[in-house]
Amino acid sequence: MSLIPYFAYAKKSFLGRSAYRFDHLMGIFSTCLQVFIYWNIYRALYGQRTEVDGITMAMVTTNFILSLGLREAFYTDDGYLSRKIRDGSIATELLHPISFKGRMLAENLGNALFNLIFRFAPAVLISVCIVGIQPPADAESVALFMVSAVLGYGVLWAISFACQMTAFWLMNTWSLFTVKNVFVGILSGSMIPLWFMPEWMGGVLKATPFSSIYFTPVQIYLGQLSLKEIGARCAVQLLWAAGIFLLGDFLWRRGQKKLVVQGG
Amino acid sequence: MGSLIEVRDLSKTFKVSRRGKGIPGMVANLFVPRYEKRQAVKEVSFDIEEGEMVGFIGPNGAGKSTTIKMLSGILYPDSGSLRVAGYVPYRQRRDYVSKIGVVFGQKSQLQWDLPVIDSFELLKAIYRIPGEVYRRNLERYTEMLNMGGFLNQPVRQLSLGQRMRADIVAALLHSPRIVFFDEPTIGVDVVGKEVIRSFLRELNARDRLTMIFTTHDMQDIEKTCRRLLIIDGGSKVYDGSLEGIRAKYSAVRQLEVEFAESLTVLPMEHVTIQDLDAYKKRFLFESAQVEIQDLMNRLLSEYPVRDLNITEPAIEGIIRRIYGGEEV
Repeated sequence: MSLIPYFAYAKKSFLGRSAYRFDHLMGIFSTCLQVFIYWNIYRALYGQRTEVDGITMAMVTTNFILSLGLREAFYTDDGYLSRKIRDGSIATELLHPISFKGRMLAENLGNALFNLIFRFAPAVLISVCIVGIQPPADAESVALFMVSAVLGYGVLWAISFACQMTAFWLMNTWSLFTVKNVFVGILSGSMIPLWFMPEWMGGVLKATPFSSIYFTPVQIYLGQLSLKEIGARCAVQLLWAAGIFLLGDFLWRRGQKKLVVQGG
Repeated sequence: MGSLIEVRDLSKTFKVSRRGKGIPGMVANLFVPRYEKRQAVKEVSFDIEEGEMVGFIGPNGAGKSTTIKMLSGILYPDSGSLRVAGYVPYRQRRDYVSKIGVVFGQKSQLQWDLPVIDSFELLKAIYRIPGEVYRRNLERYTEMLNMGGFLNQPVRQLSLGQRMRADIVAALLHSPRIVFFDEPTIGVDVVGKEVIRSFLRELNARDRLTMIFTTHDMQDIEKTCRRLLIIDGGSKVYDGSLEGIRAKYSAVRQLEVEFAESLTVLPMEHVTIQDLDAYKKRFLFESAQVEIQDLMNRLLSEYPVRDLNITEPAIEGIIRRIYGGEEV
């Protein structure tokens, strides 16, 4: 299998993104604004205290900057398949001698790379200047943070991929993705740091893929986990990403047989 | 060794949602969705040999596009078998589609926002077309279709005729041996249609490309194809030559005769005679009952004839009758 076609798709979407400059500025602005708002809320909640349950304000701030920043970089195009099915252009896509899944991933990666450079980096820099950040535990933590972030993206992408495959049956997947976004938003720790979840909730969360998207990388960055724990968490990330992807792949195989090409 | 394209008892059924009218219908559908099975293709069989150019026609909703989509590996058939150039299209989609070209007249495979040439470059990467082959094909086809003027324009700014030509080239860049065209002349003006037709003729004649195309324009068929496949209500109703269809369906033929003087013709068996004006008469007869040769000889020997004219029924008229449900 040659990777050339997939690079071509990744490049196309990377270059295509530069057309919408205003959109990027707004994206960066909105991320910084969210960090700033959450930071203010938690500062008020902390009041005079330096730490709550062993969690310092600096750790909370770091959690928001990193997870909201990563959310900006973790690009998924949730409406992709349902759009293609609804307007019938899935037909021309299937005529190309490449893997449709590979193409989806390639285009998303092109976008994600663009976002990493032009959205994640500026948003994090600006936020750090305004509210500060806790420096990483050590250089090793930064490296492992990056590995874990890539795996986290894998989990998020697989969730989006599997949900998209329902488009073969549902045609319109908008509402499903609204639900998905609520789950990811709340349960991944990007709105409420998972340290503050009630104990029983923490147990439930461990059984879901959501905490491994942003929260695992953040914990690694902060040096909260031992090397052994990091290994275990990354393995969990990998398992979620692979498992959910396989579920999506199963739906893809079934769905193709059900495919109806709309419009002539 | 079988034919290049082998289709046996191919069937495909779709589930279509059936909904009552207006708001009550919508509400009812919300709670109890009702579906109806519609058989789009019913046990269709045919063979196509290498180098053939086959016109595939039928009224709207007859199952043409569905058949083309199954042939091109996009849709899975419900039953029956399908083999093209040794591949089972829907099972070996990725390997198979690199061997064929497909043009959907109603759907473009070009990138809407990018110049035409950028879409071609992307296809070059997708199909891994060697640089040499790509350049040769691009040069040849753009020249044949006279496209030099708009290669650098974004697709969204092209006229329909220009877009269609660009889409045809896009389907041929990787040198496929088999090409499917689904309504390649839809919405294109007369001049544009002629350009496309002569281009297809040339490809078929010179490069021996195997082509199947669907259309609603009978001129397309008459000017390009020797073989015709007619499908109606999902079933194949005719498979044969263009001439054959005339012989088979045009039972009633006409002979118009202009006589040198005003006269009356004695009644003849199995022939209906109509007076057109003082000198002209029209003779209607069925080819099974009356030999045209005999009729002409008889008229020429018995009456002073100035002019004879056999009018073939237009192919469109015949097709209309077939669509109307006439039995073979």
